[in-house]
Amino acid sequence: MTQSLEGEGREGGGVKMEGGERKSAVDNMAQKKHIFTPVSEKEVTRAIVDGFARQFIEYVESDCLIIGGGPSGLMAGRDIALKGVKTLIVERNNYIGGGFWIGGYLMNKVTVREPGQKVLEELGIPYEKAVKGLYVADGPHACSKLIAAACDAGVKFANMTIFDDVVLREGNRVCGAVVNWTPVNALPREITCVDPIALEAKFVVDSTGHDACVVKKLEERGFLKTAGFGAMWVDQSEDLVVEHTGEAHPGLIVTGMAVATTYGLPRMGPTFGAMLLSGRKGAQVILEKLKKK
Amino acid sequence: MNDFIRPIPSIIDLYEEGDLNGLNISELGQYLEEKTHIPFRIQGNIYKGISKGNIQVVAEKLAKVRVRDPARRYVSRIPLQAEVDYEKRRIQDPDWKIFGILYDGVFYQNIISDLISECGLDLGDCSILFTNQLFGTWDKNNRRYHARVSLYGFPSLISISGLVVAPAKPKEFYLKKQMGAPVEWLMEEYQGRFLDRGDSRTTEVLKGYAMQGLFFHLTGDPFCEDRDCRLFNSHWQEEVLHSQMGGKHEFCPWHETILKRVIG
Repeated sequence: MTQSLEGEGREGGGVKMEGGERKSAVDNMAQKKHIFTPVSEKEVTRAIVDGFARQFIEYVESDCLIIGGGPSGLMAGRDIALKGVKTLIVERNNYIGGGFWIGGYLMNKVTVREPGQKVLEELGIPYEKAVKGLYVADGPHACSKLIAAACDAGVKFANMTIFDDVVLREGNRVCGAVVNWTPVNALPREITCVDPIALEAKFVVDSTGHDACVVKKLEERGFLKTAGFGAMWVDQSEDLVVEHTGEAHPGLIVTGMAVATTYGLPRMGPTFGAMLLSGRKGAQVILEKLKKK
Repeated sequence: MNDFIRPIPSIIDLYEEGDLNGLNISELGQYLEEKTHIPFRIQGNIYKGISKGNIQVVAEKLAKVRVRDPARRYVSRIPLQAEVDYEKRRIQDPDWKIFGILYDGVFYQNIISDLISECGLDLGDCSILFTNQLFGTWDKNNRRYHARVSLYGFPSLISISGLVVAPAKPKEFYLKKQMGAPVEWLMEEYQGRFLDRGDSRTTEVLKGYAMQGLFFHLTGDPFCEDRDCRLFNSHWQEEVLHSQMGGKHEFCPWHETILKRVIG
């Protein structure tokens, strides 16, 4: 950001120069070379709009549209993007990462059960053994590394963007999502005349956690019936979530805790191995289906 | 009053479902034979006789009898594809380890009964399925499903997962858990006072449950009110361990008499 220094200066703010001459600090700075290249506000605005618009236009149609940027969505996105699949993650919050920043009770340590630690290793996330078969890592470190891995693989993000509805085609196949800005959603519908827009994709992934937003939309239309999650049972829920990860409806892959809601599996505690492995399994399903296409 | 309502079976058929880690089924069979003089037969995996074409049908039936909400009575519904796929994988893997889905025990029993009948076996014989899967029954008093260790009938179902999760652990375990104590710590603290997966006591304990299945077959009543008898209907883990391994006698005098009549 640029700023005029002409006419500025303040009393008592001078520095003692050689030969006894006093000069204001601001004048001194003005004479020096700028640290940052001077650009105008309008150029900054243009850069943001242009960058966003170019990416948005490109990703109005993608191979895979992932709804929800939590650990399972990030993992799925990272794995498919590594294989060259054009992937966009839609996240309703400003921040990406979902609940992966913190473990239980707002404590920022995340746990994974064996073999989840292998994914931590693969992503370069430091961890330590808690008890036999259970590993603990720093939430901020784990989450930021996973986000970075997804970005490095080529995943693009539309954050502050909320899922509104599904796009259906022949045979009621899911082939996209209707989205809107998240803040619009917070306002009363009667006074916010902001229509949503649609994004298309070969596959849509519901990784919206317990809400299972995409699956619920299909349920509203009578295409399937979810069960909601059962009581918390860490020991078994992780295996079951991974086992049930897959295509729940033509064109719709479900990963992470949305799987538990869809199939009525036991609720999971603050352990994230299944989120990572469910994301990975979802990615495998997508890659196989894309190959067949 | 217990008395025979059916002929003494000529054989006891023992079936298996999934990974039965901790259960020595042949030792259990020998125990039954020793106590009753009825020979036993290990029939192996319950799904082994299913033709490839029938796997889908059985998988759909199993997916249909899942309890989706323990607080609501079972209603039939069309299962989702992933649920059927899960059951197909489970049917085809005799060492399937994963459990945690709660099935309606009565409907589950019907499916198993059909499978046994299709193999041409006589349900008049005593058939017992040992499973690592979890089933429950609807309790009309408190209007919710409860996981069960066993469900006696034709065949009788005995769940090694149910043995771990259905009878309650010591009260303090749950109180401390409610206070936020990590389950791993509590499992260590109360180790020995309840059965865990793969527990070395599993076979010994399940001998008593198998006997309950046989008594149901003979008399229609699998249970005894004597907490020192192996036929005691335990609700707590400590009761299970006491009646099966620490009772004053193996069977109460009344049930000993019945056993003598079985032997002839």
